Amino acid sequence: MRKKVLLVDDSNTVLMMEKMILSKGPFEIVTARDGQEAVTRSKSEQPDVILLDVMMPNMDGLSACAAIRAQPETSGIPIIMVTTRGEEHNIETAFRNGCTDYVTKPINGLELLTKLQNILGQEAAR
Amino acid sequence: MKSSDLRPFVEKAANDTREVMQSMFEDNQRLSRRVAELEVLLAQRESLESMLKERVAAIEEESQRFSERYVEVEEQNTKLANLYVASYQLNGTRDRSRALAAIQEIIINLIGSEELAIWELDEELGALTLAGSFGIDVGQWACVPLQAGLIGTVAASGEQFIADPERCGTAIDAGLTACIPLKLDDEIVGAIAIFRLLAQKQSLEPLDYELFDLLASHAASALYCTREQKGSAQ
Repeated sequence: MRKKVLLVDDSNTVLMMEKMILSKGPFEIVTARDGQEAVTRSKSEQPDVILLDVMMPNMDGLSACAAIRAQPETSGIPIIMVTTRGEEHNIETAFRNGCTDYVTKPINGLELLTKLQNILGQEAAR
Repeated sequence: MKSSDLRPFVEKAANDTREVMQSMFEDNQRLSRRVAELEVLLAQRESLESMLKERVAAIEEESQRFSERYVEVEEQNTKLANLYVASYQLNGTRDRSRALAAIQEIIINLIGSEELAIWELDEELGALTLAGSFGIDVGQWACVPLQAGLIGTVAASGEQFIADPERCGTAIDAGLTACIPLKLDDEIVGAIAIFRLLAQKQSLEPLDYELFDLLASHAASALYCTREQKGSAQ
């Protein structure tokens, strides 16, 4: 069964990279370009998982993560933060804002697919 | 009692004893046959167990090989995806600011550094002039004369500079990790400097060197084409 993934990043390069990594799996991809759009699309699209960049215009990923958690319709959607800031305190901040897991940039395809598999179940990410 | 009176009793006892011995002998033979059968079964079982152990070991080995191959294939996929995305982004625009943004995004997101500079060669000035940057002091790096320091030397010689892997990310010429000359038809048209790597990136990886080669030619081409496009539009 195809799983819907919401990719959120203001970078075309990252969106394209994530799409290429996920293209091998049973995923339906939807995208958003900033945190505000992520909050809106998470509600309208009801994705199975969200890949959320941290540094974005309008609303950053951390605020978007908290906002998604605060909406009853989207509060249970798993969120993987995608960040250039791999320091421990940044990761802790991401978890405090409600993320489920995180990956650091540059994105490692295998690591991302494994985390999606852990979150979505064995049938996903294959 | 007379001895003749004992005779039937003795004969009966002797017969009974013979029957018991015969029965014991038969039991012994039956048990011996059973032991032999069990020994055969045991040998068969040990052989089967040994065969199964070998088969399980072979399957585990094969599974391990598949896992390693899967990791290799995924790493190769990621590498190809990186190169494809970088190439696509660099060649997919005629807009100068988007070309510069594409170079920055490749360095930030695919190589892993948020401290970078992109220069173009000003031949009249004999120096590199800053065309784009991220996370650095723009004033400090606005103009780099040819031959000045590592970056000026790279621009003059056309030889890529990669910091000693042992000291990657540390302060070498103001924290320079790599400097890539941008070339068109073997002529140097600019340079890209990558300073400190992201905290989670310990050192450059083989893929990074391939991205450097790709940037050297494709970024040069993208900057040149978008500058020409901008010039003709004006």
